[in-house]
Amino acid sequence: MNLQQIRQYMPWIALVVLVALVGIANPGFLRPANLLGLAGDIVPLFIMALGLTFAIYIGGIDLSVQSMANMITVVASVYLASLGGWVAVLCVGAGFALGMLSGFVTTRLFVPSFISTLAVGGICFSIAQWLSGNRALNMDAEQRNAVFGWMIGRTGIIPNELFIAGALLAICLFIERRTTLGRAFKAVGAGELAARASGINVARYKILAFAISGALAAIAGLMFSVKLSGGAPTIANGFLLPAIVAVLVGGTPLTGGVGGVLNTMIGTLIVAVIRASMLYFGIEATQQQMLFGLVLIVAIATTIDRSKLRTVK
Amino acid sequence: MYELRAVEKKFPGVHALKSVDFKIARGEIVGLVGENGAGKSTLMKVIYGAYQPDGGQILIDGKAVRFANPRQAMEKGIGMVFQEQSLIPNLTVMENIFLGYQEQFTRLGVIDWKAMAAAARKQLAKVKLDIDPRMVTSALSFAQRQLVELAKVLTLEERVEGDLVILLDEPTSVLNKEEVALLFKLVRELTSRASFIFVSHRMDEVMDLSDRIYVMKDGQVMDVLARGQAEAPEIQRKMVGRDIDREYYREQKQVPYDADKVLLELSGVGISGRIEDISLKLHAGEVLCLVGTEGSGREAILRTIFGMVQPAEGEVRIDGAVQPRLTPGSAVARGVGYVPRERKIEGIVSGMNVYENMTLSQLGRYSSWGVLAVGREKALARDWIAKLKIKAHSEYADCGNLSGGNQQKVVLAKWRSGGSRIVLLDHPTRGLDIGAKEDVYDMIREMSADGVGVVLVADTLEEAIGLSHTIVVLKDGAIQHVFDCRPGAKPSLFDLLHHMI
Repeated sequence: MNLQQIRQYMPWIALVVLVALVGIANPGFLRPANLLGLAGDIVPLFIMALGLTFAIYIGGIDLSVQSMANMITVVASVYLASLGGWVAVLCVGAGFALGMLSGFVTTRLFVPSFISTLAVGGICFSIAQWLSGNRALNMDAEQRNAVFGWMIGRTGIIPNELFIAGALLAICLFIERRTTLGRAFKAVGAGELAARASGINVARYKILAFAISGALAAIAGLMFSVKLSGGAPTIANGFLLPAIVAVLVGGTPLTGGVGGVLNTMIGTLIVAVIRASMLYFGIEATQQQMLFGLVLIVAIATTIDRSKLRTVK
Repeated sequence: MYELRAVEKKFPGVHALKSVDFKIARGEIVGLVGENGAGKSTLMKVIYGAYQPDGGQILIDGKAVRFANPRQAMEKGIGMVFQEQSLIPNLTVMENIFLGYQEQFTRLGVIDWKAMAAAARKQLAKVKLDIDPRMVTSALSFAQRQLVELAKVLTLEERVEGDLVILLDEPTSVLNKEEVALLFKLVRELTSRASFIFVSHRMDEVMDLSDRIYVMKDGQVMDVLARGQAEAPEIQRKMVGRDIDREYYREQKQVPYDADKVLLELSGVGISGRIEDISLKLHAGEVLCLVGTEGSGREAILRTIFGMVQPAEGEVRIDGAVQPRLTPGSAVARGVGYVPRERKIEGIVSGMNVYENMTLSQLGRYSSWGVLAVGREKALARDWIAKLKIKAHSEYADCGNLSGGNQQKVVLAKWRSGGSRIVLLDHPTRGLDIGAKEDVYDMIREMSADGVGVVLVADTLEEAIGLSHTIVVLKDGAIQHVFDCRPGAKPSLFDLLHHMI
């Protein structure tokens, strides 16, 4: 087994080693209830990272996911009263449409995705501020429980979020491995020019990847607002960096084409363990982003395919 | 004064320079000619220090030298005027001229612009260019930029002791007649300051300017001719030289095409600056070869047919139907297949396996409701791996790890298995070894026999003549001549070259 093959399993190894390290330092960490609780708490982030995976898999990036989730918490809180369960459709539809907008700007106007999604993120943030009047909003607790209570309860000792995460992961994995959509994403990520020379409509698939990213960020936002029973324009701040870390640490490099959603699951669990360990080791919440920033740099430096880059600016 | 002795250069699978001897005297102009892949550019890279020879010696005034990089070669007086211009467009002319050598004008890290402008003016005077050195380079014409580049190289005169050798790589390719005449006059005058090595596809220009001509073929110097010693046809014969084996190009398998069935028709197709008024017909079973020098419009025609560029004028018809807004997707849907020149970048997706690559152009056929029928994909790949004897351990092999010949087979299988009836081949045998080339020739004949129309841009002229039913000769984006290439009545190399240059 050579280095290249080992690299493929690095995320798994990292996860096991981290869990073992934290487990040795704090045996209580390994209790099933604790582990399940940790996993349940990370689900909104996981869903966001799941969508982001598609944007990165095709060789782009979606920096709007955090603002998207912010905006959706507000939208959900504002319209739950009037729309009831249909608010979910509104949220996912808005995420999908704004993702398409990012994709459209990237492919038709030739604006690099890090800028187009940053701009769309700005739009989302502003919509959130405008809709909320820049205040924190609360959902009506009774209505929330009636409509979305199933999202956050427990079945036995298992948090319901995990079932939702599992279902979404299964759908994404199916798209990635078994559909023409997933195959086209892979071709665009691994060899965009060859995909084009095979007659694949590259622009359409790129737009779809950003749309999926937007839709999943919206689902993440919706779940977050249900969990917190409210929304605010900055409530999901602090999601973006860990979400990118989850995708990259999982093994989907910024250059795209390899890795995928299963990798992102491992990456998210690594993020969850790092986060939990910070509590055990007494690192304050205010310092967490520092560590994620460092992990991100290390993850990019070790996963990026430099043969695909001619210059870095 | 500058000399190469028995210089060798090898790359994986290619012996690029075979014991090359080369000499240039003070004030001499030496021409360098050869076909694509003859080793000209490798030789130039060895001369200006971009490549290090694997064997042999580089001598300057009889002393052996070794350059680790182009900068070291420059310090010994060897400068290169690049074909792809190396000036940075958003800098001023003087900044470009002294790029990397600004120290002479700096005091405490601040540049004395006046001194630099004065020095730049002196350099520009050498090439008789009367422009303000403070101009931004992008504002200059192409010919002016070429001269600035030459002026930049001539700064070596002040910097190094000893003689200058300046390489000119295809300096005339985008100049008009008057500009070429001016450049040649200037080069002749500058022989008082430097020796020149002149590389060009245009035989007449090489013969006009050079004191001696080195003819290269297959990495060897075939002959060295003094001025007036040889006529153009003789030099061309030495360039392409070898006997053509009829068997090699499967000529015995060439059968007449179906003249009643037109698959593809271009009428009056033009793209400004690239091709103009291109009209041609491709019939079922025909191999139509586009012949011309680099930039003559061959690639633009292929890309137009595949819908990658939109023609400004004219029509593309497939099966008699006009295709107003052709895209690669719709071209594929109408039965067009494209084997690009850049096999590793546009041909295969490295990182995807054999079956994923083969079905990439026909995902719709191997799926229902968007869900892939992976089992059928694998069966297809196994089938074609056996049929074309593709050397891959299985259908799961990453195409990026296959050899060039096997990659090309995968690309061809992609279009053949998809039932493409119009196949565009851009340098399909580039970089392949002989065995793999013959496999490709066999496949072209098989496609013809199946009634597929092939538009070919061949790697060499012999290949074009050997394989084609029809040859269309292009020059500067326009059709010069159309040859009928029935077996037994094929045009000669010199017939083609006559129309190409």
